[in-house]
Amino acid sequence: MKSIPKLIRRFLLILLLSTVLLLALNIAVLVLISASQTPGASPWTTAKEAADALEKTANGYQLSNEMAQELRSESVWALFIDNHTLNTLWTSENLPDSVPVDYDASDIARLTRGYIADYPTFTGENDQGLMILGYPKDRFWKQMYPAWDYDFIAGLPRILLIVLAANAGLLLLIYIVTSSRLLRSVNPIAEGIQQLPDGQPAYMKETGVLSQLAHSINETSHALQRQKYELAKKETARANWIAGVSHDIRTPLSMVMGYASQLETSDDLPESQRQKAMVIRRQSEKIRALVSDLNLASKLEYDMQPVNLRQEKLVPLVRKVVVNFINMDIENRYPIVWDTSEATETCAISADRELLQRAISNLIQNSINHNETGCQISVSITAPQGKCHILVEDDGIGVSGEQLEKLNHAAHYMVCDTNATEQRHGLGLLLVKQIISAHQGEIIMGRSASGGFSVKLILPCQ
Amino acid sequence: MDYITDKRILLVDDEPELLDMVVSMLKADGFGNIRTAGSVQKALETAAGFKPELAILDVMLPDGDGFMLMKQLKIMSDYPILFLTARGEDEDKFRGFGLGADDYMVKPFLPKELTFRVRAILRRSYREEKPLVKLHGSEIDFARGEVRKNGSRIPLTAKEFELLSALHRNQGRIVTIDALCEAAWGDNPFGYENSLMVHIRRIREKIEENPSSPVSLVTVKGLGYKLITKEK
Repeated sequence: MKSIPKLIRRFLLILLLSTVLLLALNIAVLVLISASQTPGASPWTTAKEAADALEKTANGYQLSNEMAQELRSESVWALFIDNHTLNTLWTSENLPDSVPVDYDASDIARLTRGYIADYPTFTGENDQGLMILGYPKDRFWKQMYPAWDYDFIAGLPRILLIVLAANAGLLLLIYIVTSSRLLRSVNPIAEGIQQLPDGQPAYMKETGVLSQLAHSINETSHALQRQKYELAKKETARANWIAGVSHDIRTPLSMVMGYASQLETSDDLPESQRQKAMVIRRQSEKIRALVSDLNLASKLEYDMQPVNLRQEKLVPLVRKVVVNFINMDIENRYPIVWDTSEATETCAISADRELLQRAISNLIQNSINHNETGCQISVSITAPQGKCHILVEDDGIGVSGEQLEKLNHAAHYMVCDTNATEQRHGLGLLLVKQIISAHQGEIIMGRSASGGFSVKLILPCQ
Repeated sequence: MDYITDKRILLVDDEPELLDMVVSMLKADGFGNIRTAGSVQKALETAAGFKPELAILDVMLPDGDGFMLMKQLKIMSDYPILFLTARGEDEDKFRGFGLGADDYMVKPFLPKELTFRVRAILRRSYREEKPLVKLHGSEIDFARGEVRKNGSRIPLTAKEFELLSALHRNQGRIVTIDALCEAAWGDNPFGYENSLMVHIRRIREKIEENPSSPVSLVTVKGLGYKLITKEK
């Protein structure tokens, strides 16, 4: 939205510059026209030439033919006055009657400056006297009293510069004032529009020329805020609903699980009954995992689970999870191989300890759940090129290529935005995906060298 | 281990059926001294006469919550508290046990999970009166801080004592390298892995008949160590 003030400024600048350009163009045209207004030589030059073209002959004074021709063609009359006597020595043939032939000094001064009998006159001199040319009355207009202050003429370049500078300053002022006034009324609107996509509430005063626009923006903002609130309310309700269900299920499940486990180890029951109790206990453990995954997954999905990222040493964090599993697996049906070199001991990541441990323990639990007859699980950490790789593999039944494709690419039903009739994969893996994405990491599922399932978590190292 | 199952345990939950089940779980594991209560009021009354040595409390009670009850119980006498909770949200509160609780468990749980926690808390809070631990070929006398081997007494250093105590509390289970470093060197236990190896070697020289092929203090490569006693 920076573009709006820029646009306005550019527009104003172009407007002002074009004004200046227009003015300059006008002046240029004026100069050109006035220059073309004076055809041929100036009348003063013609008068001088006429004076030179007058020659004294035996029969009196005689004007050269070319000059006589030129004067005639312009209907100019001429008159030559002697320097000493002020007598008229020669006149052209076309001298009008209204023009006197006797002159004194003051007459000559007046005719030099202005007119004789309204004819604009121009003088030129030679050795003997003064040549006076009289042009037709409508041919020239004479400025009769041309005189300027000497200082003014001497300072003219400076004055011109000052005038130019003052004009430029004035233009700048006009530009600043208009652009700032314009921006003041446009800016709030632009800012308001800018806030809308960020989801911030936008409110502006509905005054001035753009009040209708401001009103529309206020309305839009209000509608967006209402939608946002409704959405948040719905999401909170959904997450709370899941939290409530998972809470209510825990106490009854405690009893199912507790008693089933007790029956499983009871000496009073025949082996077949104990087997049944074991099935109940195992299934209720699955429900327990489901309930707790469901709750955490829904909270992560709706941003209700705080992710407390802190600097953590990766190896001790994973080691604890692995040791917990080894310590709980009394029958040693799921031996875990820890394959991590000492070089990775110092590998540090930014992580939420509890969440990351949950992700890793979900992966180990996943291998256990899918291999009821037992399997060997291998956990290893490597740190290639600024990344931490956590690899959890098993040598169990593994997955088919088709299943793998689904695991890696299909969305889980819980976060799927189309109607999902089939469950794509367990909640446990969804949770791992969510946790890893909250850590800016990636997850790659595949097959281990021994044909089992393998998951690689890639996290940014610090 | 009998000194642990003799401890008086107070169990507070508003669900009578759950109380029955937990009692049966604890009894099956040998605990005999158990009282139950269904509310904060009853719990306080029972605690006054019974003088429990461990309380297992539900977070949600009909006339208050478990955290409030814990504070009141701790005013009377200081003993460990284990919380049972049905709410995943409570886990956040328990993290770091900032509330003064010793441990917590989220329902539902298996009997072995419950009894393991209860035993771990009791062992941590109450030292054995006669902590004489029999190993293959030697005995650790925690009261005197020494090892008896082949008729001679070998004293333990402070660090060796801490490490052996931590291993003994979790006997038969792997204790991670990190947990051992924390037990011996405290809160920021990183970078002590090599020192730990040196101490483990010295402990082996004291307790093992053949320190180069240990049978009591075994290494779980890359993960930690395990103390094998004769009792298990």
